[in-house]
Amino acid sequence: MEAKVEGNPLITQSKWRKVAYGGMQPGYDDNYTDESFLEDMVMNANVVKRDIVKVMRDSVSISQYICVVALVVCVWTYTLGATIDETSLLLLDAGLLGSGFLVLLLTARRLSINLLSHYLLKISFFISGLYVLAPIYHTLTRSISSDSIWALTVSLLMVHLFLHDYSGSTIRPPGALKNPTLTSNISLNASIVASVLIASRLPSRLHVFAIMLFSLQVFLFAPLVMYCIKKYSFGLHLCFSSLLMTVTLVLVFTLHRPLFALLLGLLVFVTVVCPFWLIRLQEYKFEINGPWDEAKLCFDITE
Amino acid sequence: MDSHWTGSDWTKSSPKLTPLAVYVSCRTFLLISYCFLVFIRCLISKDAMDGQRRHRILMVSDFFYPNFGGVENHIYYLSQCLLKLGHKVVVMTHAYGNRSGVRYMTGGLKVYYIPWRPFLMQNTLPTFYGTLPILRTILIRERISLVHGHQAFSTLCHEALMHARTMGYKVVFTDHSLYGFADVGSIHMNKVLQFTLADVNQAICVSHTSKENTVLRSGLPPEKVFVIPNAVDTAMFKPAQTRLSCDEIVIVVISRLVYRKGADLLVEVIPEVCRFYPNVRFIIGGDGPKRVRIEEMREKNSLQDRVEMLGAVPHAQVRSVLISGHIFLNSSLTEAFCIAILEAASCGLLTVSTRVGGVPEVLPDDMIVLAEPRPSDMVKAIKKAIHILPKIDPQVMHLRMKSLYSWHDVARRTEVVYDRALRCPTEDLLERLSRYLTCGAWAGKIFCLVMIINFLLWKLLQLWQPSKDIEEVPDIALLHDQRETTPWDSVED
Repeated sequence: MEAKVEGNPLITQSKWRKVAYGGMQPGYDDNYTDESFLEDMVMNANVVKRDIVKVMRDSVSISQYICVVALVVCVWTYTLGATIDETSLLLLDAGLLGSGFLVLLLTARRLSINLLSHYLLKISFFISGLYVLAPIYHTLTRSISSDSIWALTVSLLMVHLFLHDYSGSTIRPPGALKNPTLTSNISLNASIVASVLIASRLPSRLHVFAIMLFSLQVFLFAPLVMYCIKKYSFGLHLCFSSLLMTVTLVLVFTLHRPLFALLLGLLVFVTVVCPFWLIRLQEYKFEINGPWDEAKLCFDITE
Repeated sequence: MDSHWTGSDWTKSSPKLTPLAVYVSCRTFLLISYCFLVFIRCLISKDAMDGQRRHRILMVSDFFYPNFGGVENHIYYLSQCLLKLGHKVVVMTHAYGNRSGVRYMTGGLKVYYIPWRPFLMQNTLPTFYGTLPILRTILIRERISLVHGHQAFSTLCHEALMHARTMGYKVVFTDHSLYGFADVGSIHMNKVLQFTLADVNQAICVSHTSKENTVLRSGLPPEKVFVIPNAVDTAMFKPAQTRLSCDEIVIVVISRLVYRKGADLLVEVIPEVCRFYPNVRFIIGGDGPKRVRIEEMREKNSLQDRVEMLGAVPHAQVRSVLISGHIFLNSSLTEAFCIAILEAASCGLLTVSTRVGGVPEVLPDDMIVLAEPRPSDMVKAIKKAIHILPKIDPQVMHLRMKSLYSWHDVARRTEVVYDRALRCPTEDLLERLSRYLTCGAWAGKIFCLVMIINFLLWKLLQLWQPSKDIEEVPDIALLHDQRETTPWDSVED
């Protein structure tokens, strides 16, 4: 609805300029929309075009971690049902610790005795501290009913899975640049509390120590080990993940049929359905940038 | 004359023309002719009013005096110029501390400080329907014809526009800021804006970049959006009588020291400039969370004698700070329209600014030096400004600013928008609801529900408090003398 003055053809109308000074531009209304309207708008400048195969390969990290948590839950169930006794648990812990160390040593870029002794010292502090605190955990939830414990554990594990940092590791590997985020810390704390709750239901202090050591080993160090394997070789990571998934599925199958169905469904959903869904939703992405954006500082603000 | 009036009835009833009869007939004639003349006068004055298009405007915003800022400035000066043009203007805002009730400002500007307390960043608590009764009372009392809301961030403005549309008044909205699209706060704000602007008659933006931003955010057709920039009170911002010497170059910065206004850029730029140019001095006015960083920079580089920190500068003293400098530095990261630059240019300072938002449109290229928001570019721009400084004459710049910007021009252009808005057809509820449904799959239905409830509440209020019980305010015509608009800060309660 612009009203261009259809004036004398001898008088040429001055060109419209994108300026605010000088009052109303002669011959143009204030609501005149030029052809250059929105010409500086940039759409979807930072959007990454995703490839379905790559997304499926990346989703393996998530399904692998779900299997790890499922394995931990299996071990808990077996321990609570007295299928595994404390000596075999302690052997399992030692085996896991040894293999974890082996993987870290093999995949580390520089083999340094200093780093190894540093880790060993830390681990020994950790184990002794846990042994000293085991009696406290043993009697922690004596007054709470079992139903509340199971419900709380399940909710905490849900929180743990939702907020977990699947791309990196909360325990910082040496040389990592990014600090762990708030959500990854929350997820780690949730898993630790879940372990404590389960451990407090066990009959003897040695049980408590063994199961605590097992749970904390897995929740604290398994992401670190997975991260080191992934960084070393992606093929090895894929092989290891598929092996882990098969083992988990077999174990859960022998334990509980409905849970097996649930786990299988979840793994299929994460590996197959979600990548397709993500690719389909990407076409609706509409990112707008233009001269109205707040300028980003090109330097870091050091307080 | 009597013979016309003393018709057959008269002669029948009183055969003789007694003095009493004559007196009564004269009085009756005078009464009837007076009524006739009043009627004619009403018709004429109605025509005159239509021809003159005298509007009765209610300005609504959370931001008004005693706060100082761009929006507050704009509303005040626009209202004063509209009053001078003969319209009636009433302002509605929330209470500021003890300042609650009706106040009068210069020129007879009536301000309603409704007794709502601000709860977050000068905004009233959004209660959706809480302001309906008081707004209805104000609209009927003052016989308003058009409601003009300011600033997308003001909850009072959104509520008032919603109620005004429900009650059938014409509505105009002015947007004063730029917003993004990506973060959570902006997404919600844009949805609220879409709701308000789905049914607005006309919209005004303060720069062309702001128009593009508003059109994208709200989905309005671009023809509905007018671009009317802010202006500056050139009578208040006059350059110094004597020109400052160019031996020592003074760079003035007056802004809130917050992240958005680029205080971090200042921290990087000032030491560099002080290092390259030993004869340059900085004056920094304003306060805020980043003041500590600037003080630290000052200490670390030992610039205590070259960087002067004034703290918060009251509005009345801004001019005296500006005229003590040669160059005005503006480092904001986003700006829809920077009035501070206009004030500086009006005082004869050369401006160096970041090229963000609507700033490139504000001044002609010979009065401003633009730079990208990076410290290296800004230092280069300051260097260029120092180089062209000797060619700048403050008085010439001031006279040019007088011709480029004027609040009277803004008021006239706004009057055109009001005329357009009043010519829009009146619609009933069902026609308007169809516009809200286009706002989104879920949001459209929620908005329709909100409007329907608003309509029902309004009808209920009409039954409970009929409009004929609300007393209308008579117009008080103040004698306008021909002096210039009184500056804001000399207003007395």
